[in-house]
Amino acid sequence: MHYWLKLLVGVLAATMFAAAGFAQTPIRIGVLLPLTGPFAKNGIENWEAMKIARDMINERGGINGRKIEYLEGDATSPAAAISETERLITKEGIKITTGSFASPLAIAVSQAAERHGVFHWETTGAAEIITRRGFKHTFQVGAPARKYGQAAVDFIIDDLAKRLNKPVSSLRIALLWENRAFGKSVGDGIRAYTGKKGIKLVYDEGYDQFSTDMTPIVQKLKDSKPDIVIAISFPNDAILFQRKAKELNFNVSAFIGVSAGYSSPDLRASIGNMVNGIFVADFPPKVNPNVLKPEVRKIADEFYKRYEKKMGRPPAGHATAGFSAIWALFTDVLPKAKTFEPDELRDIALKLDLPEGSLVNGSGIKFTNFDWPDNPKDAGQNLRASIGVWQWTKGGNEEVFPPKLATHEPIMVPLPSWDKR
Amino acid sequence: MTTLGQLVLSGIFIGAIYALMSIGLTLIFGVLRIVNFAHGEFLMLGMYGAWAMTRLLGLNPYLAMIAVVPAMFLFGGLVYRLIVSPALDKPHLVVVFATMGLSIFMQNAALMLMSADLFDIPPVFGHAVTIGPLYFKAELVVGFVITVICTLVLQWALKSTYLGKAIRATVQDREAAMLMGIPVPRIFLITFAGGSALVGLAACVMMPLFSVFPTVGLNFVLIAFVIVVLGGMGSISGALIGGICVGIVQSLSSYYVAPAFGQMFFFILFLLVMIFRPNGLLGQKGAADIGIAD
Amino acid sequence: MAQSPGRISLAPARGTLSVFEIALLVLCLVLVVAPIPQNLQDIIVLTFLWAGLATAWNIAGGYTGLISFGHAAFFGIGAYTSTILLVRMNVTPWVGIWCGGLLAAFCGAILAVICVRLRGPFFILSTLAAAEVIRIAALNWSSLTGGPEGLAISPAADPVNMVFASKHAYLALMLGYLLLSYALTKLIDGSRYGYYLFAARDDEDAASAAGVNPLAVRTVALMLSAALTGIGGSLFAQYFLYLDPTFVISPEVSFQFALLPAVGGLGTAIGPVLGSFLITPMSELLRSYLGSKVAGLHLAIYSALLIVVVLYFPSGIAGALSGLSRRKGGKS
Repeated sequence: MHYWLKLLVGVLAATMFAAAGFAQTPIRIGVLLPLTGPFAKNGIENWEAMKIARDMINERGGINGRKIEYLEGDATSPAAAISETERLITKEGIKITTGSFASPLAIAVSQAAERHGVFHWETTGAAEIITRRGFKHTFQVGAPARKYGQAAVDFIIDDLAKRLNKPVSSLRIALLWENRAFGKSVGDGIRAYTGKKGIKLVYDEGYDQFSTDMTPIVQKLKDSKPDIVIAISFPNDAILFQRKAKELNFNVSAFIGVSAGYSSPDLRASIGNMVNGIFVADFPPKVNPNVLKPEVRKIADEFYKRYEKKMGRPPAGHATAGFSAIWALFTDVLPKAKTFEPDELRDIALKLDLPEGSLVNGSGIKFTNFDWPDNPKDAGQNLRASIGVWQWTKGGNEEVFPPKLATHEPIMVPLPSWDKR
Repeated sequence: MTTLGQLVLSGIFIGAIYALMSIGLTLIFGVLRIVNFAHGEFLMLGMYGAWAMTRLLGLNPYLAMIAVVPAMFLFGGLVYRLIVSPALDKPHLVVVFATMGLSIFMQNAALMLMSADLFDIPPVFGHAVTIGPLYFKAELVVGFVITVICTLVLQWALKSTYLGKAIRATVQDREAAMLMGIPVPRIFLITFAGGSALVGLAACVMMPLFSVFPTVGLNFVLIAFVIVVLGGMGSISGALIGGICVGIVQSLSSYYVAPAFGQMFFFILFLLVMIFRPNGLLGQKGAADIGIAD
Repeated sequence: MAQSPGRISLAPARGTLSVFEIALLVLCLVLVVAPIPQNLQDIIVLTFLWAGLATAWNIAGGYTGLISFGHAAFFGIGAYTSTILLVRMNVTPWVGIWCGGLLAAFCGAILAVICVRLRGPFFILSTLAAAEVIRIAALNWSSLTGGPEGLAISPAADPVNMVFASKHAYLALMLGYLLLSYALTKLIDGSRYGYYLFAARDDEDAASAAGVNPLAVRTVALMLSAALTGIGGSLFAQYFLYLDPTFVISPEVSFQFALLPAVGGLGTAIGPVLGSFLITPMSELLRSYLGSKVAGLHLAIYSALLIVVVLYFPSGIAGALSGLSRRKGGKS
């Protein structure tokens, strides 16, 4: 009896091994995103976008016959991000990590990954410092912070100034930034860029994103009489700010929000038609399909459809960016790999030379490699990450800048006063 | 001048709303001598309640009070029975960590049930109230009025009703109150539940002004702590004054110094009060001497 | 439970070393050198570090009754001091951690001046507010602290920079820190100063009548606790290699310092250690196994367990243990 049982187990085990040998082992990727805590909202949206990418690639037969498998970690704070990254690397033997939505988390995850020589493919984290620590295996596919600011300022110089019939030098521009990693980084970028262009900022202040009263901020802005406000905010404070601007009847000719807070699709659910006319400098959530390569356009359509079906609303820019970046990893990096070792992946990534329009959100890929003139320690920053400007309209949102990506002409310039909106 | 007027008046209005959300906390502290670290999450729960009543049943958020306030009373009673009451006869830290555990639990339960999305309700009033060149959201003014009424009613109730007298007796001397035949455990239960009901009231007032999400309590809880201590723990009119002080300090320092430092100034104000008037602005003498051994 | 001098007792007791403590030490030493999988080593590193930090907190919170919810400020001051010295001035952390400890002690003295007179919730909330002031200052003083973008230490292994490739080195480092905190606590336990502390904590008036200056005694305890917490902060920085004011000087970190002794046994030397040995692995394992299944589930379970533990074991694991050994002793 005993003998037969052993034999049975042996036979079973042998069959299983054989089966495993035939089916290729999956490619395992560590995904670090904030699934709990204050960043959870955007973290979860990113996670859904990433899962759609995984399902889409696996339904297409995987990468050279190998399926993609995610192992995820809840990177709720930088310390947790480091612990979770360490766990995935040391316990699960992960060689590729990705994520991580917010800049402080991206800084932490890449730190842990670099320490173990693991390849980190950062999808959305934007702070400049991510790629400026001399790391060899960290690649920031999304745009660095200064690009967000440049897009906003270029839009003002090339487009808004003409529409407002004012020379750029006489425009009064105000800059408001939340004082966390992303807001400060973008704010620094805008300050430097406007300085270079000879534009003076009439207001330039950071604020705490947990502020519960926006009155002093809006009042001070109002007193500085700006024509255009550029604001970098998170969702909750963006909503509070807009409501307070309406309350205090603070009117501007144009309002440009940057990323997270102003691009969040539920901004309309929160403040209704007050969003109409606001410009947003961000990853484009949807770009003019004509700039995309035809095969990319198909992927984009499928992604939008699946995301809307799953989440009941169109993706925000950061979710599309998360999808775009991971899809590029699946289609342009991993298929060329043989050993899947970080050094090999690094070589492949550095050789990438994808023109704009290659990624679902209109970006291309070309990484710096310790050759950035401003900072010789910079490697892995994507020079072709596109940040455009889009606008909230009655029907949804339309890309308005740069002209190449635009789907629409800017409207509501100058922005009507609150009693007419 | 216009600017200063706007800042001060806005500070007063928002400060009154901060005070409203702190009254429950101060009442609970005054009577039970415990700090409820889940206070912010009680507010979050109340706000979800107000949101649901408004969005799902189409009620006016101020009418939603009729449902939210009693519901929060029951919830407070339940929390008292399950968590607070068993902790009362144990070392002081027990109740601190029990309520802190409750705070983490409620945040994450909300995350599981409601997701991390922000929820809002449409504005109740179409227009702002204008006083000359100054503008105030009508919801803010209504909140101020409700706070003042609520403070007056509570003051009266504590002074004139039997229950109020029993509560004040318990605050003054627990043992003596017990000897006089006041059912102290029952007073504790009613106070805790009543304090929670007041948070529900504050939640209905705040829902038209703020979005609700699982960690919304974190934005407010430290403010509430500061107000309660500033006003003198247990003092209701003190909470109102403390709230208004915080509102004005936050408003003026954010404008004249920098918005990034707005919170820092009211924490500094708080520490200054602790150094020079450790019993709070209106607190009873000796309140700060209540040791953890009690 | 009175100890005759010179005899080693079974259960931990004030002022003497017990069999239990020696066994625990041997276990820790084994954990340092044993070839354990790296991810478990990571959890053990954190467990040692948190045990050391909790022990440091306990000197103020447990021994002196100064329930501080602002120790994250000392933690941050220590972490930032050694890191700024390393990153900006190239001073080795082997020197920097002591500077961080000294600065933290100094800030502890300032905090003592502000709130050592206050009691109960007043003290708790004042320390919380003081830590928030430090956090906001660190967040906005970018030229020194790197502001919201934080400070990063190069991950290249270099013993001079106290950055190691091997987890064994970190295990040894953290255990060393834990032993330092623990030894100081034991020293206080058996000393005259310790009796002053207990006296001032348990009955201030009686203590002053007996010639103890409660304020001075408490100030010294807070400074010692702050210094040790600062050193722990530097070690945290050397392990994580990245500092961000929002997360390093957060109220959550302060709560954690207080939570571990509360679970393990407040005012006992062994309590904070036991607290960390239970809670740290539990929270790390819950997050790693459940963190991604349903968002929030791991923290909901963790907090529910926490409520049950603090409600039903109010004197902590150490209390439960000594109760157990007392009952056994009674039978034999």
